[in-house]
Amino acid sequence: MTLAVLSDVVKRYDQKLTVDHVNVNIEEGEIFGLLGPNGAGKSTTISMICGLLKYDSGEIRIDGISVKEHPIEVKRRIGLVPQDLALYANMTAAENVRFFGKLYGLRGSLLKERTEEALAFTGLSDRAKEKPSTFSGGMKRRLNIACAIMHRPKLIIMDEPTVGIDPQSRNHILESVKALNRLGSTIIYTSHYMEEVAAICDRVAIMDKGHIIACGTEKELRERVAHEEKIVVKATNITPGLISELGKHPRINRVEVVEDAVELYLPSSQSELQDILFIFSRHEGSIVSLHIEEPDLETLFLSLTGRTLRD
Amino acid sequence: MNIWTIMTYELRRQLRSRTWLLNMILLPVVLIFLLGASLSGVVGVEGAETVNQVKVAIVDTAAAAPAKSAALDAFVKSDEVKDYISPFEVQTREEAESGLRTGKYGYAVIVPQGFDSEIQSGGQAELELILGKNHSDNTTAGTVFDNFLSEINYKQAAAMTLGPEALTAAIPAMADQPAVQLGNLNNGGKTYTASQFYAASMLLMFLLYSGLTVTSSLFSEKDNHTLFRIHSMPVKGSQLFIGKMLGVGVITMLQCAAIIIFTNLLFGVYWGNRPWLLILFCLLMIIASMTFSILVCMFSKTSATATNIVNIVTVGMTFLSGGMAPLPDSWVNSVGAFTINHWELQAIIRMMLHSGFGQILPNLLVMSAMCLVLIGGVVFTYRKVGYHE
Repeated sequence: MTLAVLSDVVKRYDQKLTVDHVNVNIEEGEIFGLLGPNGAGKSTTISMICGLLKYDSGEIRIDGISVKEHPIEVKRRIGLVPQDLALYANMTAAENVRFFGKLYGLRGSLLKERTEEALAFTGLSDRAKEKPSTFSGGMKRRLNIACAIMHRPKLIIMDEPTVGIDPQSRNHILESVKALNRLGSTIIYTSHYMEEVAAICDRVAIMDKGHIIACGTEKELRERVAHEEKIVVKATNITPGLISELGKHPRINRVEVVEDAVELYLPSSQSELQDILFIFSRHEGSIVSLHIEEPDLETLFLSLTGRTLRD
Repeated sequence: MNIWTIMTYELRRQLRSRTWLLNMILLPVVLIFLLGASLSGVVGVEGAETVNQVKVAIVDTAAAAPAKSAALDAFVKSDEVKDYISPFEVQTREEAESGLRTGKYGYAVIVPQGFDSEIQSGGQAELELILGKNHSDNTTAGTVFDNFLSEINYKQAAAMTLGPEALTAAIPAMADQPAVQLGNLNNGGKTYTASQFYAASMLLMFLLYSGLTVTSSLFSEKDNHTLFRIHSMPVKGSQLFIGKMLGVGVITMLQCAAIIIFTNLLFGVYWGNRPWLLILFCLLMIIASMTFSILVCMFSKTSATATNIVNIVTVGMTFLSGGMAPLPDSWVNSVGAFTINHWELQAIIRMMLHSGFGQILPNLLVMSAMCLVLIGGVVFTYRKVGYHE
């Protein structure tokens, strides 16, 4: 069953199209990854799904309810984990969770029970009476999540929930996301960390310049870039002459130097391997190691969105 | 229910702040004490006034006794004025002026030649009055001789227009009036002290600052990103505003009660005989202050801009309304009539002076109208502009 439907959604800021006729269906019970470079329109799309921004045209329905017509009803079904920490520093962890729980309409014993549940779920039960100002970055991130899940929403939207935290906290959060999904929540997950998205998401959409430029499972997306392979050659004496000659090879699409390695992108490595080794030998480049990499989500992301820096 | 939740958490957050206790309770009480003690000469009237008998030098410029004024002589020696003036016959103007300079006399009167004959011939009675050094003595003696001249001239005019009968009928009624009477310009017949004035003025200034608490609270929601989270929840923007306003409103009423009680207990400040009306005026001030601040918030992009605007307007209105020190009659004083503080301060001072409700009602109406306009402005602006991160 489809939980969230975005049909032909358009949003403009001063005549500039920020979200350009986006169409996405998110199925109930899936973890849906939303990827894109800065300024791609991810945050705007999330804000529109949450009813924080009004869309200019199209329609967004959550659980069959129009966001435009019944924003309050939709908001009851959503739990948003914002990218920035949204906590009250002068209230304890438990008070923070209770406050947001009350705004979701929880009261009495149910509120108490859900507060304890959310804090336990995020591993903060023993710090419930402490203020977030005394917490580490990872603990604050976990409390940020606890405040969004305590009303057991149907749809949880996590906007880069693992930014700037230690590996242990990141792992805890990723495990929590999977656990929430197992408990029945549908999750929209945005991140800049490709390996996170690849590890936890059932499906991924890549956004750029307001468009959804690719959408599917990780396997489906990888197949889209299967036409290109990457050979990583670690070598000594990497000279400009060597790079120049590799770049002029008619079958090599792209050459990149990463520290003491040369990365070569070409349609098929097998037929050109001998040529490549010959060029290295001619420039007296001593090869330390050589391996062929399978295309991953990052390769796909970069090949679709380009390598130019985005602000 | 959301309004109640937001209000109670706002209250809890504000009351946990130690700086709040210092700024909102201790600071106004200390300020009232300092201003009341140091500026007691500028405001109000301390203690009761008394009328002292004034030594008056009388110089009759007529050459000889038969030509001297018998009317004035009879008046200054009459029982009617003996408590107020003590006449001394002086020969020359120079002697009288010298006596005024040395303080021997408090006042001097120069009687022109032919004073009595001028009156009898139907002319206007005129005396030359020379002021002494003391303001109160001048007022007392001046009132006595002004009355004397007025009475003569009144009789002259009445006799000429209505005939002698009307004059004789009027005399007994006039005889009962004392020559000098002490009184107060306010109806209640009371005066206010510097402490009372500054207690009222500072109370209003700090009530006006309550809007700043709303401003900082709203902007802290923005800065903490909690506003973003709250907007993603089933909470209407209006519920957030009303909850915040009620929370800060309750805190400000606590502050208001603390200022009134502390100033009464510590400095004996009397707040008048209409406590319910005082509460109503405080409520109106809080509503005006908070709605104004919310308007500023909706048009300001940063917390610093909003805080600066509210600060400038608060201090500016307190000054223009005469809350720092009573202002002389000038354009500044006239501009004060356009401030919220002006109408509030006047009303509270009148309550302190036991003025009738009729005198306070215009202030109540003006304040209510101002609040309605500000509430209307907030509702209209919120619908047009909104308040988002």
